Amino acid sequence: MTIDQLIGAGVLAATLRLATPILLAALGGVVSERAGVVNIALEGCMLVGAFFGVVAADQSHSVVVALVAAMAVGAGLAAIHAVAAIHLRSDQIVSGMALNILALGLTSYLDYQFYGTTGTPSDLAGVPDIEIAPLAAVPFVGDVIAHQNAIVWAGLALVVLIQVFLFRTVPGLRLRAVGEHPRAAETVGIAVRQTRYWAVIASGMLAALGGAYLSLSVAHSFTDGMTGGRGFIGLAAMIFGRWTPVGALVASLIFGYGTALSFSLQGASIGDVRVPVQLLSTLPYVLTILAVAGFVGRSRPPAADGIPYETEGHA
Amino acid sequence: MKRALAFLLLATTVVAACGGNVAASPTPSATASATATAKPIQVGLVTDVGGLNDKSFNQAANTGRLNAEKDFGLKTSVIESKKQEDYVPNLTTFAQQNYDLVIAVGFLMQNAAWKVAKQFPNVKFAIIDGAPANDAGNTENLPNVANLFFKEQEAGYLVGVIAATMAKNMVGKATHNTVCSMGGIPIPPVDHYIAGYQDAIKTISPTTTILNGYSNDFVDQQKGKEVGLNHISKGCDILFQVAGGSGLGYIAAAKEKGVYAIGVDVDQIDVAPGTVITSAMKRVDKAVYDTSNAVKSGSFKAGDNFFSATNDGIAFGKLDPVVPADAKAAADKALADIKSGAIKPKTDLTVK
Repeated sequence: MTIDQLIGAGVLAATLRLATPILLAALGGVVSERAGVVNIALEGCMLVGAFFGVVAADQSHSVVVALVAAMAVGAGLAAIHAVAAIHLRSDQIVSGMALNILALGLTSYLDYQFYGTTGTPSDLAGVPDIEIAPLAAVPFVGDVIAHQNAIVWAGLALVVLIQVFLFRTVPGLRLRAVGEHPRAAETVGIAVRQTRYWAVIASGMLAALGGAYLSLSVAHSFTDGMTGGRGFIGLAAMIFGRWTPVGALVASLIFGYGTALSFSLQGASIGDVRVPVQLLSTLPYVLTILAVAGFVGRSRPPAADGIPYETEGHA
Repeated sequence: MKRALAFLLLATTVVAACGGNVAASPTPSATASATATAKPIQVGLVTDVGGLNDKSFNQAANTGRLNAEKDFGLKTSVIESKKQEDYVPNLTTFAQQNYDLVIAVGFLMQNAAWKVAKQFPNVKFAIIDGAPANDAGNTENLPNVANLFFKEQEAGYLVGVIAATMAKNMVGKATHNTVCSMGGIPIPPVDHYIAGYQDAIKTISPTTTILNGYSNDFVDQQKGKEVGLNHISKGCDILFQVAGGSGLGYIAAAKEKGVYAIGVDVDQIDVAPGTVITSAMKRVDKAVYDTSNAVKSGSFKAGDNFFSATNDGIAFGKLDPVVPADAKAAADKALADIKSGAIKPKTDLTVK
């Protein structure tokens, strides 16, 4: 086991890449739950984002069109959840789960219909890496961040933007008010339901961008179920991050680091004992538990999280 | 009144039973053939997770199913498993509908197939890459289950010959004399491929550095890609994937960094033209096809069935133009030697 295997530039660069899809899902969770709607359909939103991003890239040969399409479909799926959760006041867990199953079945079915047994085309337009020439020559730092994908940077920028939006702007304050005490928010003239609709739709777009990262930046193809539960891990990251964007970033990085470490340590040995692969694959989860036990303490969700709002007079 | 009703019921039952006997007694063979024409042989395929176009063994199994349906006039269908908990319900679905043959695709379905096959002794089952395994995890042959095994080490050996020849002679982009492999999970069918690959490399080019890793996943492409990027940073320029869908990420890493990859299970030359130089093929399609035919012709054999180079169950795929003639010649010779028994590829890993 060497220092390079533990905190080398390669491991840290991999950490950023592995954290990005989890981070984007977690940001979606933050926005939605801060407004008081639990959105476990994030996994499904990621999956449709991954799939329809590929379809749009194949049809249009344009990365921009592909990303817009991915986010639009993610927004569409989230909008169904929003109608169920906000308008119909249904159980938000059930609705979210149903949409996840729908997304899995739909993408799998359409994938087979569109691309049959040949799979998605091998010459798909992909999201480019951003080469930072001045940094590339800098040792270590250059290896970590000089060749990262555009969506990795977008994810980091979104952390800052959403953090500022939620905690430093008036619309952000209103969104949080809707999630903490919707009745009070309504009495001061905030449109509770409308705010929640926009928050859920935004969460779907963020998750779909995370899915598109997997298919258009990482794999350059779509395969069934390729999001592999990252939407749920994103929700966990949101909770560990205490429903804040910066917290979600830290949690995602811990998870990404655990996964990166499980690969870089393969073949490593402590003394004469080889570290078993199976044990290494538990690293992300072990690190997460340690982080939660050590740093997070008691976390409190927004007070009205998951509770449908009924306008006065309707109740 | 009650007694009369009971008598009536009894009488009906007896009559019905006799009626059944009478109808079945004359010329049983005629009845059997009449049933055969009325009801074609039904074959159900249950895939592992990863989907029908995983460009790997699920896809190959489905190809075999479609070919068997076309050539033998069978009625076939397929159910995709989305998660491991789906195995038992999916197998049961076909068994309950009295399918003649239910095929479980994958080693991971060993226990599920054991459970369902015990429950439906009159339905024939086949497990690709596995044998029925009881709840304690021990394999237990059942009279209605065919275990379809492949000698993956032979396929691994063949592509290992090509990789070793290219690494030794520094062909094209293979300039670091280092070759790698990545499995999904360290299970026998995966490790056999890698063992054969490493055996060939050690035999043909002993100075070549060998690395091996696992993505711990058969679906997740990002994990496969990260293992690939890690291997490439250590100098690997020929990457052999044995990880289904996750392995497509391993190939994606090779494509991004401009090195070579070797596909697995099916011919993956089209996955990334110019990157994939060949594929280690096990003809899962042939196993499904042959077993379906065996059920139809009555030659179904429970217990172990082996598919190897000898019966064309193992092969190497199409070659990229970068593969030199001497590498192809060496692989052809190795194939002949494996068939003749002159070469017996190892099944244990040389480098873990």
